[in-house]
Amino acid sequence: MSDAQPLPGPLAGLRILELADETGQFCGKLLGDLGADVVKIEPPGGEPCRHVGPFLDDIPHPERSLSFWYYNTSKRGITLDLETADGRQLFRRLAATADVILETFRPGFLTSLGLDYESLHEQNPALILCSLTPFGQTGPWRDYLSSDLLHMAAGGEMASSGYDEADVPNAPPIAPGGGNAWHMGCHFAYMAIMAALVHRTVSGQGQYIDASIHEACALTTEAAIANYIYRGEVLIRQTGRHHAAGPTPRTQFRAKDGAYVCALVAGRLNPRYIKELADLLDTNGMAGDLRNPKYQDPAVIAANTSHIIDDLVAGFIASLPAEEVYHAAQERGFTWGAVRPPEALLGDAHLHDRGFWKEVEHMELGRSFIYPGEAAIYNGSPWRISRRAPLIGEHNTEIFCDELGLSRGELSVLAEGRVI
Amino acid sequence: MSRPRALENIRVVDFSWVRAGPWATRWLGAFGAEVIKIEWPESERGRLPSSTTPQDLEVNLNTSGNFNDTNVNKKSLSLNVRSPKGLEVARRLIAVSDIVIENFSSRVLRNWGLGYDELRRIKPDIVYVSMSGYGHTGRHHHYTTFGPVAQAVSGLTHLSGLPDKPPAGWGWSYMDDTGGMYGAMCALTGLYHRNMTGEGQHIDLSQMVASVPLVGPALLDFAVNGRGSQRPGFPPGNRAHWPGTPPASNYRGPTVAPHNAYRTDPGGYNDWCVIVCHSDDEWRRLVEVMGAPSWAASPKFATLSGRLEHQEVLDENIESWTMTLGKYEVTERCQAAGVRALPVQSAEDRVEHDPQLRHREMYREMEHPALGTRKVQNAPFKMSETPASNHLPSPLIGQHTREVVESLLGYSHEELRAGFADGTFWPTKRERFPYMEEMLS
Repeated sequence: MSDAQPLPGPLAGLRILELADETGQFCGKLLGDLGADVVKIEPPGGEPCRHVGPFLDDIPHPERSLSFWYYNTSKRGITLDLETADGRQLFRRLAATADVILETFRPGFLTSLGLDYESLHEQNPALILCSLTPFGQTGPWRDYLSSDLLHMAAGGEMASSGYDEADVPNAPPIAPGGGNAWHMGCHFAYMAIMAALVHRTVSGQGQYIDASIHEACALTTEAAIANYIYRGEVLIRQTGRHHAAGPTPRTQFRAKDGAYVCALVAGRLNPRYIKELADLLDTNGMAGDLRNPKYQDPAVIAANTSHIIDDLVAGFIASLPAEEVYHAAQERGFTWGAVRPPEALLGDAHLHDRGFWKEVEHMELGRSFIYPGEAAIYNGSPWRISRRAPLIGEHNTEIFCDELGLSRGELSVLAEGRVI
Repeated sequence: MSRPRALENIRVVDFSWVRAGPWATRWLGAFGAEVIKIEWPESERGRLPSSTTPQDLEVNLNTSGNFNDTNVNKKSLSLNVRSPKGLEVARRLIAVSDIVIENFSSRVLRNWGLGYDELRRIKPDIVYVSMSGYGHTGRHHHYTTFGPVAQAVSGLTHLSGLPDKPPAGWGWSYMDDTGGMYGAMCALTGLYHRNMTGEGQHIDLSQMVASVPLVGPALLDFAVNGRGSQRPGFPPGNRAHWPGTPPASNYRGPTVAPHNAYRTDPGGYNDWCVIVCHSDDEWRRLVEVMGAPSWAASPKFATLSGRLEHQEVLDENIESWTMTLGKYEVTERCQAAGVRALPVQSAEDRVEHDPQLRHREMYREMEHPALGTRKVQNAPFKMSETPASNHLPSPLIGQHTREVVESLLGYSHEELRAGFADGTFWPTKRERFPYMEEMLS
């Protein structure tokens, strides 16, 4: 709508070549939504993760994967078979124009094609090549197969997440969903790429980055590693709250509407907090005996922690819908939140105020859809979804002909030869 | 041999505390930026309370293990920013810095007189990253978060657990770790933009909002298909699909079976492995690895749809095999045959037993003056020209006050002493650490 000379994003002017499957596509989105020209290079016929659901209207099709749509915004798409001589030659020509190449092939694959960093760097000394792989380019596990679940196991996420025995006897460790192993790897890869780009603004030199998803996941369990290194502790799993060296009071309570509320209370209980808590609980007449002056004695509070949390706080939350508890508590300075299903976010007024939701046009369908927006507002150089995910080979003509100078006839030959 | 650093000559004024902000600046430090952490012992959050102080040490401001790991590669300036004199020191520091980063509530810096408009007056091309709970704009900007609250409100918590049970959620502040990542990502992106254009800016990061893009496919499933996440069989625990419920995407990857966690020998708390078969071929290879047991020959397991439908029996049978082996043995046998399997690893497993992390030198020892020689977590990537590395242990509180105030900002030693006497650099009524007496002598 506001297309009258909009401010460019912070990465405007950068050309990224992305050769990434489900493990690395989010990194390309992070770069593209911030203004880089991300060219996604898929094998002829399209990247296999186009076959991961859910699908538009539940009709499976490589152009209808919502997962692919989400992770591939703000990219242009071309097809190219690197295992053909023509494909490699065209790739070299593209690599000469690129600032960054992001690739997720198995270790050694690009080298086996003669497309190793050294030779690409020779023709383009400012090139940054980031290999993002499950375990990195070296080590005993480098050729192991993986999946999101596997990374959540070996990275330590599962060892920290699960249930109290009282809630689910004999529960397994639980891997939180949503494909977050890929997010963790992509966040660190993005960070390393940006550091290399900043360095390049000063030195003019590119470099090679060997990023490991396993290591990224192993780094993403807060204090679990410190608990072990400094105290030798191995932590237990607890329902809906932090891992801990021993059982801690619960923080997740069922509200009147069956939804849950995350209410962090233990560890904060002091006389002043008790007064504020009584005021909050009283908004629905649920303060119980909390106004009794005896609770102004820290020793009495400590002796009654279970009563305060499991009777009074739990009772208050059970008396109201989760969203009402969330807002009533936050307005009074309590760091509490409703445990919401993702779809509840579409109606979140605060997100609307921040212009978070973006309407993305799918011209070929004659429809537009609402997409999630930015983690952060860049006030001087806005984040934006510049286009929906590319169709298979959508920009072949634009990039191979208009930019690299191939003729339409040559493009046809390449298509017939299954090079593109 | 000294290698160039990616953020050579970049200085960061770090007002951040607790976890998310310090986790961000830790990485800027690893890239070679000079990170100056501004702290005040009376309102300190991150060093205390500590549940990670070694059992044989006194709990004090300098003995938190988690603080050490979260704050390597930084210097510490103890400074009362709420005093006019302290504020003036902060302003002089900002004037010679590139990045200001903080994770206070949304109005704190502005109330100190250090909102972006003022920061820009002090240093026109400053990159200012605010990492608040809900951001600086929007009607709930005054709401506050910890990791678990951001995870709950954004839908992340809902994606974790078994069907028909309360959410299992995330057993740690995933959004402190990840909020920290975004803090570093925003700072680096803003810095790149500044180097290219000469323009600084205010980047308004919100921990709660940053969680939402991490549930993207589930949000699109609702926005596009109208399918919500409150439905039978969701979330499906460690499975890709819960048997007996209508098939639908689990937002983790392909809908396949087996796809679960299995107990391993000797059956202890963390003796589990996960096994996933993405195809019939991978399933057949798993059958071979298991020694081709007779149950696996049943035609009901020959097809993907059969394996999905009969997951209860399938998983029971697989577990009867995994129970005969240790989790690393299951992993090695499966992976050698091209089957996806890895152990569930505790922190101890990662530090002591993971051969890959050992090979990649994930945990390397550093000397800390109060905590002794300890392993510290390294970067999950190798950079050929500008390696990210831990080069300083976490600072003792106020350890670099003299260095920053005198050497960098040009105050005299007398002014430093006066600032200690009047409560600018340390509370007058608080006992000083021995290294502070030394810096004043």
